[in-house]
Amino acid sequence: MHFNLSEERKMLKESCDRLLNDHYTQYKNHHEVSSSEIGFNKNFWEECSEIGMLSALISPNFNGLGGTGEDIMIVFELIGKHLVVEPFLSSGILSITSLTNSKDIETSVLDEISSASKIYAFGHSEVDTRYDETHIKTKANYKNDAVFLTGQKSFVLNGDFADKLICTARFSGNDFDQNGFGLYEIDKTHCDIRSYNTIDGYRAAELNFSEIPAKELCKNSDAYNALLETLYAGAFALSAESIGAMEVCFNMTLEYLKTREQFGKPIGSFQALQHRMVDVMIEIEQAKSAVMLAAGTYEADKDTKYKNISAAKNLVGRAGKLVAEECIQLHGGIAMTWEYNLHNYAKRLVMIDHLMGDSDHHLEKFKLYSNY
Amino acid sequence: MDFNFTQDENNFRKEIKDWLSKNLSQRISNKVKKFQRLDKNDYEEFMKALSAKGWLAVNWPKEHGGTGWSNTQKHIFEEEIVKAGAPRIVPFGLNMLGPVLMEFGNEKQKKYYLPRILNCDDWWAQGYSEPGSGSDLASLRTKAVDHGDHYIVNGQKTWTTLGQFANKIFCLVKTDTNCKPQNGISFLLIDIDSPGIEVRPIITLDGEHEVNEVWLKDVKVPKENLLGEENKGWTYAKYLLTHERTGIAGVPNSKSAINHLKVIANKTYKNGKPLIQDPLFSSQIAELEIDLKAMEIFNLRAISSAESGKAPVMESSLLKIKGSIIRQKTSDLLRKAIGPQALPYISEQFDEGWNQETIGPEYAGPLAKQYFIYRKISIYGGSNEIQKNIVAKSEFRM
Ligand SMILES: Cc1cc2nc3c(=O)[nH]c(=O)nc-3n(C[C@H](O)[C@H](O)[C@H](O)COP(=O)(O)OP(=O)(O)OC[C@H]3O[C@@H](n4cnc5c(N)ncnc54)[C@H](O)[C@@H]3O)c2cc1C
Repeated sequence: MHFNLSEERKMLKESCDRLLNDHYTQYKNHHEVSSSEIGFNKNFWEECSEIGMLSALISPNFNGLGGTGEDIMIVFELIGKHLVVEPFLSSGILSITSLTNSKDIETSVLDEISSASKIYAFGHSEVDTRYDETHIKTKANYKNDAVFLTGQKSFVLNGDFADKLICTARFSGNDFDQNGFGLYEIDKTHCDIRSYNTIDGYRAAELNFSEIPAKELCKNSDAYNALLETLYAGAFALSAESIGAMEVCFNMTLEYLKTREQFGKPIGSFQALQHRMVDVMIEIEQAKSAVMLAAGTYEADKDTKYKNISAAKNLVGRAGKLVAEECIQLHGGIAMTWEYNLHNYAKRLVMIDHLMGDSDHHLEKFKLYSNY
Repeated sequence: MDFNFTQDENNFRKEIKDWLSKNLSQRISNKVKKFQRLDKNDYEEFMKALSAKGWLAVNWPKEHGGTGWSNTQKHIFEEEIVKAGAPRIVPFGLNMLGPVLMEFGNEKQKKYYLPRILNCDDWWAQGYSEPGSGSDLASLRTKAVDHGDHYIVNGQKTWTTLGQFANKIFCLVKTDTNCKPQNGISFLLIDIDSPGIEVRPIITLDGEHEVNEVWLKDVKVPKENLLGEENKGWTYAKYLLTHERTGIAGVPNSKSAINHLKVIANKTYKNGKPLIQDPLFSSQIAELEIDLKAMEIFNLRAISSAESGKAPVMESSLLKIKGSIIRQKTSDLLRKAIGPQALPYISEQFDEGWNQETIGPEYAGPLAKQYFIYRKISIYGGSNEIQKNIVAKSEFRM
């Protein structure tokens, strides 16, 4: 057993880190990028593609250069470290996973994604379906050879600017059935779109549509499998992202404790605060370990894979909240200001728990996949 | 021991309720309930109505125009105004400066300032903290130099809550630097309109403007604006801490927040069932309720021991800590309850009169924002860590 990255992956990590760092230090914070018209920087997205950050998320079977748990972990830790708002989750992991798990998908579609020539988004949640995996109310209506979708999708990351949208819709059964739904591709121009920024500074959209033409990607058990793979890929990527953000929070706080003086000495000299930092450190190491385990079993059988991802997402949810809250508290008032960048990391850490299943959801899934 | 309210107390509650239903405008309570931005008029409209009724100075003795209410009555009053969705009663003049003036101010000052607080003629801000002096307040550096009949003040205050609405600020300033820091501090009453004062906004992490920096450059402050004696300011500032602080635990706010949480957990569905029926989630609400009920009794115990004359210094600190934890934990569960609906942030939703469709239910909009801004509760007014230091020092004597 060893926990080291190969030379190749180290190089990937270093070059991505440099690119993200150079780009994001131009801005005051990531809100400056996400409040632009399209919610991210298209040129920069192309640069990310050029250095292979997107093909690192795609398996060689689909003309990519990576796609393993380890690759995803490396890329997403960096995304968390720099609070990257480009559509790595939506057009990256979620769309890639749903497409590669669909039937007869052509490699050229994935080439479009990895070359940044097309942006995809993935819409599954509806406004009140929470994290319920197969709770789908949007309807798919088959007429002769064609299929038409009616319904709405909520919180669709980058749903406003995407060229193509992949979404779930049901053609039979009740709202919760594991059968009777499919994955479909729809055209954004047919949708009524309401775009907004999330509280943590990312772009999302509400989509409404009625009897719009769609292309079936897969259905029934294929769709169920593709959906689970997608949701778990997203949960995994977010868990890795969280680690990157936790480390930044920790380092900022440590630095601050060493420099901020009260009562004639650095506040970091108070043992009460040192112990709190150690507690935070323990949880970050724990979370990191859980994410590494999930990365290592990303290619394992589904039960093992999902169990370890749920464990990671649960732990990251709990640890992320602790890190966010403690780092703000230990800073004192300064951390409550917009100007000081810590809140952006804290918000991301907390809001990651609102995406792809929160810590309670994944606790239940962990129990399910561990046969409790 | 008796946990029941007397008939008189129940009647009192009804009187408050009835009055609020007629005198708290729907416009304002709607804004408060929707967590919308309040302007100066919103606060003042309600406070002036209370003042006209004689209910503004809840903590003041009758001789100064206060209500003279018992602590139980105050408790009932606080509970009802929160329930009704009233804006908070701005505490700086009423609860912070007022008691200090009564105890240490001279007759002229009392006569001039107290009625002005009571009539909402003045809006006071609290000028204690400085960029370099938060927890270690005594290290403050804003300096007042004696110029015969006036002082010249230079320095910077920060975190000044609602300073943008204030016309007055009470400041701790250094008048003697050749002694132990605590012994060289004076308490000055300053006009914010004085030449040389500049109030600059600080935007907090929720994107809102509630706190400010106050810069003082060669500000001329007449000697008559010195409260009490020169270099005794620290005693006056500390007097506030020992002065009973019944509301410190925020029991009414937490109560109403937990009720809100339960309503939302009934309306939100998880896997086809109301969230309140989810064992994992409902257990967390239940624990909070247990904590809150216990704290309410703890709070009442502290109040009653204060009535028998013992200053509840230790209790205040413990209650502030526990109160902030419960308040924050409730806001944590509130955002958690709504799942992905916590994601959208529509800033205009927090402006008065916004009437577009919300994303998800209307109650969802403010919850994530609330969670983040409520992190302040364990920081301001003496952080939880400082409260622990106070308790350990005063109680354990180790
Ligand atoms: C929203 C908001 C509103 C405010 N409103 C006002 C106002 O109207 N007027 C006003 O005067 N002030 C106001 N304050 C200031 C507030 O009182 C200070 O923020 C508070 O005293 C903490 O000081 P600080 O922020 O400088 O943190 P610091 O004192 O720098 O503390 C940083 C961290 O170190 C910890 N720490 C410090 N010393 C010790 C120790 N000895 N042992 C253990 N831990 C320690 C603190 O608990 C904290 O976690 C406000 C603050 C906020 C956030």
